[in-house]
This record gives sequence, C-alpha cells and structure tokens, in this order.
Amino acid sequence: MITETSWLIPVYPLIGTLLTIPWSPAFIRRTGPRPAGYVNILMTFLSFTHSVWAFFALWGKSNDQFFFVPWLNVADFNLIIPLEVSAITIGACILITGLNLLAQIYAVGYLEMDWGWGRFFAFMAFFEAGMCALVLCNSLFFAYVLLEVLTLGTYLLVGFWYNQSLVVTGARDAFLTKRVGDLILLMGVLAIYPLAHTWDFRELAVWAQTAEVDPKVMALLGIALIAGPMSKCAQFPLHLWLDEAMEGPLPSTILRNAVVVATGAWILFKLSPVLVLSPLVLAVTAAIGSITAVGGALIAVAQIDLKRVLSYLSSTYMGLVFIAVGAQQPEAALLLVLTYALAMAVLVMGAGSIILGVITQDVTQMGGLWGRRPVTGFAFLVGAFGLVALPPLGGFWSMLKLVTGLWESQQLLLVAIALTVNWIVAFGLARTFGLIFAGPVNQMTIRSPEPIWLMVVPMMITVGFTLHFPLILSTLGLLPDWAMLNKDMGVALIWSSLLGFAVGAVLFVGRRVESPEKLVPAPLQNLLAFDFYTPRLYRSSVVLGVDLLSRLTDWLDRYLVDGFVNFVGLASVFSGEALKYNNSGRLQFYALTITFCVAVISIIMSWQYLPGIFTAVFATP
Amino acid sequence: MIPLEFYLLLAAALFCIGIYGLVTSRNVIRVLMSIELLLNAVNINLMAFSNYLDPATATGQVFTVFVISIAAAEAAVGLAIVLAIYRNRDTVDMEEFNLLKW
Repeated sequence: MITETSWLIPVYPLIGTLLTIPWSPAFIRRTGPRPAGYVNILMTFLSFTHSVWAFFALWGKSNDQFFFVPWLNVADFNLIIPLEVSAITIGACILITGLNLLAQIYAVGYLEMDWGWGRFFAFMAFFEAGMCALVLCNSLFFAYVLLEVLTLGTYLLVGFWYNQSLVVTGARDAFLTKRVGDLILLMGVLAIYPLAHTWDFRELAVWAQTAEVDPKVMALLGIALIAGPMSKCAQFPLHLWLDEAMEGPLPSTILRNAVVVATGAWILFKLSPVLVLSPLVLAVTAAIGSITAVGGALIAVAQIDLKRVLSYLSSTYMGLVFIAVGAQQPEAALLLVLTYALAMAVLVMGAGSIILGVITQDVTQMGGLWGRRPVTGFAFLVGAFGLVALPPLGGFWSMLKLVTGLWESQQLLLVAIALTVNWIVAFGLARTFGLIFAGPVNQMTIRSPEPIWLMVVPMMITVGFTLHFPLILSTLGLLPDWAMLNKDMGVALIWSSLLGFAVGAVLFVGRRVESPEKLVPAPLQNLLAFDFYTPRLYRSSVVLGVDLLSRLTDWLDRYLVDGFVNFVGLASVFSGEALKYNNSGRLQFYALTITFCVAVISIIMSWQYLPGIFTAVFATP
Repeated sequence: MIPLEFYLLLAAALFCIGIYGLVTSRNVIRVLMSIELLLNAVNINLMAFSNYLDPATATGQVFTVFVISIAAAEAAVGLAIVLAIYRNRDTVDMEEFNLLKW
C-alpha cells in the first residue's frame, strides 16, 4: 500500500512549490514571506516520512516493484513512464528528502534577512521534486526530461539574487553548460531507441547483454550518453559552471553540492550496463573522471574562496564516481555517491555557518576560530574525515570498495590516481581547516559567534548521520565483509589520508612555515588558482566560435537575404519610376505607339504567310 | 489593266505618309490633314476592293460614302477642338500640348 503510492513522494514538494506562490511579495504584501518556508518544510517532511515508511515496507523483499503510468500514445509509439520502487530508489529518495529537509531548516536560519522566501523555497521544492522523480523513474527518456527540469531549477536557483552581476553570469553559464551536456545526452537517448527499441533501464540492461552493435556506433552512442552526466557532475571540461554556481544562496548549495551533481552520477550508474558494450567509452569515462579528480583536487587546494574549495571537491568526487563507472564498478559508484553526499552536506553547512558569521568567504582572511566556533569546527572535521578515506567513517568504505575493485581488475594507474586524489583532498581539507580555525585571529574573525539553532541543529543532525553512517551501512548489509577486504589497500588508503592531513596540518594548522604558498612556483599556483584559466579557454574556443558564427549569420541575414528581398522591391519601384516616362503626355507619341504595336502584332500574326506573299509579289511579272 | 496590288500599294503608301505626317507634324491642322490622308488611303482600298472583288453589288463604294461623310464630320469636330485649345493657349503647336504627362 505504502509502496504503491510511492509516486506521491515527488508530488508533495511539487504541491509545496505551488503553495509558496501566495507568499511572494507581489501577492501577500503585509505579513512577510515566512509561511512559504514553513509550508515547504512540512511538505518535505511528509515526503521524507513517506519515503522512510516505504523503505521499511520494502526492505528485505527481493522483488522490486514496477509501475507504469501511460503518458501518451501516438501512432505506433507508446510512451509510458515506468516507476521503479525498490530499496535503492526509495533509499535515494530518503537521502534527497532528508537532506532537503535539513537544508530547508538551515535556510530558515540562513535567509533570516531575506525577502525572497517564496521564490527560494519554491525552487528548492522544485529541485526536490525533480530529483525524487528522477530516481524513481526507470526510463532513460524521462530521466532526460527530469535532468532538463533540474537544469532549469539550477538556473533559477543560482540566479536567485539577480541584482548581482556575477550571479547573472553564473546562472547563465550554469544553464548553458548543463544544457550542452543535456543536448548531447538527448542525441544519445534518441540514437539508442532504434537499436534497443526501449528506454526502460531494465530492458536496456537486458538488451545490452546480448546486443551486437557496431563498435564505432556504440562508441559514439556511449560518449553521447556520458556527455549528459559529464556536464551535470561538473566534469572537465564542463566544470566551470559549478564554480560560478557558488554565487547562489548557500542553503541551495548544500543541496546542489551534495545531491544535484549526483543526479548525473545516478544516470551514469543506471546506464553502466549499456556503457560496458564499448571498451572505448569505459576508457573515456575513466579518463575524464581521472583528469577531473586530480585537476579538481589540485584546484581546490589553490582556492582562497571557501565555497569554491568545496565546489571543486564536488567535481573531484564525481570524478571518482566516473572512475568507478569506467572501471565497471557501479556498486562502488553508488556507495561513493551516498557517503560523499552526507560528508559534503556537512562541509557546506559548516562553511555556511562560518560565512554567515564572518561575512567574508576568503579563507586567508579567517583564522583562530577553533576556540569560539567549536561546534562548526567539529562539524567541519567530521565532514573532512567522512569525505576522505579514514576509518571508520563512510568515505573509507566506499573508497576501499573502489580501490579494491580497481586492484582486482589490475587497473594500477587508476589505483594510483585514487590514492593520489585522496591524498590531495586530505591535504586540501587540512589546509582549509587550518586557515579557518587555526592560527592568529584576523580582523574579520575577531567577533564570530556560533549561528542560531536553526542552522546548528541541521548541521549537527547531518554530523550525526555522517558519524553513524558506517553503522547504518552495516545494518543494511552494505559494508563489505571484513574477511574479503583487501587489507593492503585499506592500509594504503589510510596512509594516504593521514599523510595528506599531516602535511596540511604541519603547514597550515601548526603554521610551521611562514608562508606555505611560496613553496610552489607562482605560475603553477596561478594556474591552479584560476582553474587552469578555463574561462579564458571557453572564451577563446567555443564562445568565440559561436560568437563569430552568429555575427556572420546575422550579417548574412541582414545584408544578403534581406538585401535580395529588398532588391526585388527596389527593382519594381525603380522600374515603375523609369517606365512612367513612357506616359509622355504627347498625343503623337501615343499614336506612334499604337501604330508600331499594331504593325508588330500584324507581322507576328502573319509571320507564316510572309514568305508566300513575297514570292507571290515578286513572281508576278 | 492595272492589277489590284498596285492600288493597294498606293493606298498603303498614302497611309504610311499619313502616319508619318500624323506623328511628326507640330501644327495641329497638319495633324488633322494627315488624318484625312489616312482616311483617303482607306477609301482607295475600299474602292479598289469593291471594283476588283465585288463589282456586282459594290458594297465597298457604299462604305466609302459613309467614310467620307463621317470623316467630314470628324474633321469639323477636330477643327472645333483645335479652336477651343487655341483660344486658351494661343498656339497650335503640338509640342506645347504635353501637360497630361506622368
């Protein structure tokens, strides 16, 4: 019963979206926008409760339930929405609605001084509905539809404070970059239908087991299919939007960094049986993931903006997910997304708690907060420990699963990359922690209290979940068996994390070196700090090309196409102007015209008799 | 006996002379005179055809009589119009009568 109505899970927040409309400042002008938030928290809570209830009803049952909602039926094309209600999808709904609930409560505290609650909570609920629908729907086509919905949601939410110029450009870039990936994904979605005759993920997996497709076709198809998740997950080279999306309001960043970027990973996870058909696509996926993981981690180390440190870590961890899918380990990818989401939510909540208190986002202007911000500091530490591979927290288990799988399939390069990324991330998080919480107090951090309970409570609940996550995983039987573990890999992971933390701690927490940034040559440092100059790269390649092309077509339209049509008009006007002089006003000219025309017509009409007439005339003596 | 074609060629020549006079004369009276030449060329045609092709009933001669009488009336009206223009504009030059143009 409760599982059969699981389609309601995305509907509650959608109702919440509609319910906020009256509290937009345009309608209710007197009593303020706060009920919009409360209504949405209630709807999210309903959705969360429903998910949890459905999860316990489903747990232990092996057979997944599928429901089919007819959408439209034209000609011989029948479009139905298949819904999958299984422990995994409902579990993902719990994660989404739970994190959304916490983020919305957090937003009640964070957006205290803001008027735009109606809009903000409507967008948040819209996001939540889109994501729940995405994990529940079992069709590639509707997954694409919902990804586009989420793209629109990103655009609206990043552009929340639209009177700031950087917000407007950030929202533009977020929309266009994600849109490009989505459009290429659409090509893949359309191209797979004639091959598999289905968009149902299950049937696609069945098809993929026996499919014999031309390797070139499959390679192109696979690359189109990973292009969508590539832009969603902010993978190189489509990663700039996540950096610029940090201009949006922070509570939405919790959701985006933790969950929205993971929607792409979800599609990738669902598509992994199809991607296996082409080794080239798997190699490309792993390569993109590797480049992003290493690049993102390095860039995160060189950032001074707290939110941007976290955004590049999002790219990094999604890169690890790409590696996992590329190495044919979808389970590791899923576990990685789960553990990452909680840890990243804690980190972003901690960052928001700091930013609201000290105004600046520049970590070099912070310092010495540990004594006065112990709760936030603790949360930040838990987030950091939960993200990198440090037992007993979640990140360790997912990374261990990934690295063990890579080791067993003899992909040593990827193992080295995973360990390196883990090391860099640990170092980067230690650096961020050190700059914020250790060292001397700075001008900006002299007076910095902990925020109100509305922000602390969700943060601490997420911390609690992060800390208890291994227990939850072992209860659900998701942890790998201790005897089966590759203990060498575990030790290597622990050492890489510890080494990273240690180097970071020596340099930034202990402040043993006067200015650690001088250890790296300035050009390299700038290269990383400016994100490999990606904006410049975009502007000099794709943006330049499209700009020039559009200017050219505009010119062609203005001067060639319009010119031709205008020429026709001008020619008739000119000929009218010229021909009117035939109307000379002289009677004799008219008489001449008449005579001439009659003569011409007579000659034409009697043309065939003329030779006879001539011979007759000249033959007569 | 002179063949029919000779009459016809004479009439055609007279007609062409009339046309030439019609489109080149500057004096309105000469234009009217040219018109008379045209009509007389037509009359020669009618008479010739009547004599050579239809000597019994001579319908062409009846036509000729009508053309002569109507040509006289037409010339009278034409001269009246010329006089009317002359009263207003004090000239009979065709080059001066190009007011109704484009």
